[in-house]
Amino acid sequence: MASFFQLLVSGLATGAIYALIAVGFTLVWQTSQTINFAQGEFVMLPAFFVLAAMNAGAPFWLAAAISIVVSIAVLGVLFKLAVVDPMLKYGVLPLVISTIALSLLLKEGAKEFYSSQAQPFPALVPAADIDILGAVVSTQSLAVLAVAIVTVVALNLLLNRTRLGRQMQATAQNSTLARILGIPVERMVLYTFLINAVLVAIASILISPIYLAKFNNGDTLGLAAFIAAIIGGFNQVRGAILGGVILGVLDNLSAAYISSQYRGAFPLVILIAVILLRPQGLLGRVEERTI
Amino acid sequence: MSAVLQVSNLRKSFGGITAVDGVSFEVREGEILGIIGPNGSGKSTLFNCVLGQLSPNGGEVRVDGKPTTGMRPCDLNRLGVSRTFQLLQVFPQLSVRDNLILAGQEHRGTMLSRLIGRADAGLGDAADQMIAFFRLSHLSSAPAGLLSYGQQKLLDAAMAFMAGPRLVLLDEPAGGVNLTMLGHLRERLQAYHAERKATFVVIEHQMEFVMALCTRVLVLAEGRIIAEGAPRDIARNPAVIEAYLGH
Amino acid sequence: MKWLAAGAAAAAAIFALIAPLLLKPFGIYLISMWAVLTIAALGLNLTLGYAGQVSLAQGAFVGIGAYTVALLTPVGCPFALAFLAAGALCFAVGWVLGYPALRVQHHYLAFVTLAFSTLVFLVLRNEEWLTGGIYGINGVARPSFFGWSTFKALNFYYFSLGMLAVLAAATWWMLRSPWGRAFVALRENPVRALSLGLDTRRYTLMAFAIGSSLGGMAGALYAPLVQFIEPVSFTLGLSFNLLLMVIVGGSGYFFGPFVGALIAVLLPEWMRVAQGYYLIVYAMLVMVMMAFCPSGILGLLERALKAFAPRGKEAAP
Repeated sequence: MASFFQLLVSGLATGAIYALIAVGFTLVWQTSQTINFAQGEFVMLPAFFVLAAMNAGAPFWLAAAISIVVSIAVLGVLFKLAVVDPMLKYGVLPLVISTIALSLLLKEGAKEFYSSQAQPFPALVPAADIDILGAVVSTQSLAVLAVAIVTVVALNLLLNRTRLGRQMQATAQNSTLARILGIPVERMVLYTFLINAVLVAIASILISPIYLAKFNNGDTLGLAAFIAAIIGGFNQVRGAILGGVILGVLDNLSAAYISSQYRGAFPLVILIAVILLRPQGLLGRVEERTI
Repeated sequence: MSAVLQVSNLRKSFGGITAVDGVSFEVREGEILGIIGPNGSGKSTLFNCVLGQLSPNGGEVRVDGKPTTGMRPCDLNRLGVSRTFQLLQVFPQLSVRDNLILAGQEHRGTMLSRLIGRADAGLGDAADQMIAFFRLSHLSSAPAGLLSYGQQKLLDAAMAFMAGPRLVLLDEPAGGVNLTMLGHLRERLQAYHAERKATFVVIEHQMEFVMALCTRVLVLAEGRIIAEGAPRDIARNPAVIEAYLGH
Repeated sequence: MKWLAAGAAAAAAIFALIAPLLLKPFGIYLISMWAVLTIAALGLNLTLGYAGQVSLAQGAFVGIGAYTVALLTPVGCPFALAFLAAGALCFAVGWVLGYPALRVQHHYLAFVTLAFSTLVFLVLRNEEWLTGGIYGINGVARPSFFGWSTFKALNFYYFSLGMLAVLAAATWWMLRSPWGRAFVALRENPVRALSLGLDTRRYTLMAFAIGSSLGGMAGALYAPLVQFIEPVSFTLGLSFNLLLMVIVGGSGYFFGPFVGALIAVLLPEWMRVAQGYYLIVYAMLVMVMMAFCPSGILGLLERALKAFAPRGKEAAP
């Protein structure tokens, strides 16, 4: 029982990270019809920014802050202006292809320009185990959970309690209507990209101590983001959070109880099951049929 | 005369806005029904609900007595219901002739017979006849994207007629067309109607077009039918004038 | 312009027939690889260029085809039968995968094929009793037909070229039929197509299943070509490679895959100097292309020819 609890907590921690990635992915998709296939690589990259800053002499906290700023500039602004905007006039498909190419580019780039070896990454808190209700829980998991929860709560407050956030939600639901209401739609879209950049940077810093910073982290993380978004319901931010958490918990539990050889298969089976049985996801609405 | 199309109590809302609020009407065989109304009266929403592009929140649609509410547009088309579009009309890269063959090919045989059968699915002659009927013969092998707007409208109508449908719904056929072409279009529609005893439902803004073409007119305002009758009576109906001027 | 295209195709065909006689064994191996990959790219072009769906599992289908042949031929199954089995199996799997995924919008097929690709790799790697696991399968035999052996590099090349010709011809014939018209309609204006009674879902599914089947058949030829197959060859990397081939060549153009596969096979050779960078260059090329000319090299060529060719007959108003 104690070990189950430990798995649950660490599962929640991983799930919280998946949730952050999935939320960013969903937000970007909702507001600008951009399916960002490079989302996994977006999570892989900021860790390398941190390592590069630290190699240049910065202490961890400063390096993390620098990494977030650089992510906003590159994965937020540059991505939108240089990749998404020129492509949008051609429709969704060229943009999808472009982000697939981008994911390849970032992955190979990290491998060539930094290293193909997994790099150790500093943890947020020194590794230790503490006793909660008779179960042993790692401080790492708790720290990750804490940061992730704070981020999600902050995001929630931003989206629901500020004027800016409500404008962003309006843009996501119906951009034509939003434009008529006088909302600066292009700027709202830019903000979602910036938010995504912040979310992936935070997720990167949280997950790299566990996964180590490796150029191919994007493969598993990207897949986790897509599956979480689909499980929760492609058109819902709350769904992305729920999907991420469910995925993290199930993934961790399955690793313990199912053969490790097929460990990566569990999320894939869940995905196929969701698409077969409830394609709109747990929280999604059945979409208005236009085709 | 039997009812080709029956709409009963159709209701459609988007969020808090009710676009169609309990609309019921019948279309009898052989008539040309016009549906008019000011902007935002729900004409297009009504159309799209009948045609399966949108799922209504309430009410029923029946074609020849068969319930078709929420049916996929392709299945509805195979029951004999065709439509034209306000925008997005033709397939620009296919030739005019190919556009017409495409319009008819899904109504013949099975998928397999379409694979191993003739390249034109046996519709070459029918397509040529339709092209001649609409006086587009000189453009038969031109890519449809090169046609003028008015010519594309004609092709759009031709495509809707290719499968010999029971019922044709025309969505703002006169929109953006110049006067000469408009006359030609209207004349061709009337000729087709007379020849094949077809049944039309037309949504339109342009009053002259409706008055000249339709045998009966429905007026929609704020999602409800406010008047019905012969075109001349409708034009003089005070409620109708109010609805149009009031906006 | 049609004569130009026909002329170019004829010249290329003659070149394809004669070139290997002038090449060293490695060169012959490369163009055999080109022929095999073109078949897989042809299939993906059907799915992507004609039906407009992104499939990230074409590499996995190549793998399924390869392993089918590698496992069936040593136990006495004639190559022709194994080849057809590979194609049929991949058609069936494609249908089963696509049927639920295509009921929804949002490009779900992309995600499902992504997951499927990873799943296939896991199975290939883990089920050692069947697939030899990470050690792969060695010594895949090259087939013989009525006494003519394809063991020699040159013979195998002409065999693959012949298969490419047959499959390309079959695909061309399919695209000339009403199905081809339906695919164009599907791509250009799916809403209009639906309103004309065209079952877009059925045609998209069919394109994907046939495309996957072609991937399997390519795999059936890949196995005897390389004679040693392992799971690592059929990961997402191959699927990405095939996708980029179709895009760069020109998605939706019949000869796009031929051009794309040629570039994909030659580029790593040209970039021998910059070993690992060729993928980066390739990816950047694709991104730039998507921004300026999403219709690939053949699309660029078509645009260039239209700009320089004499004005064709214009429709009278």
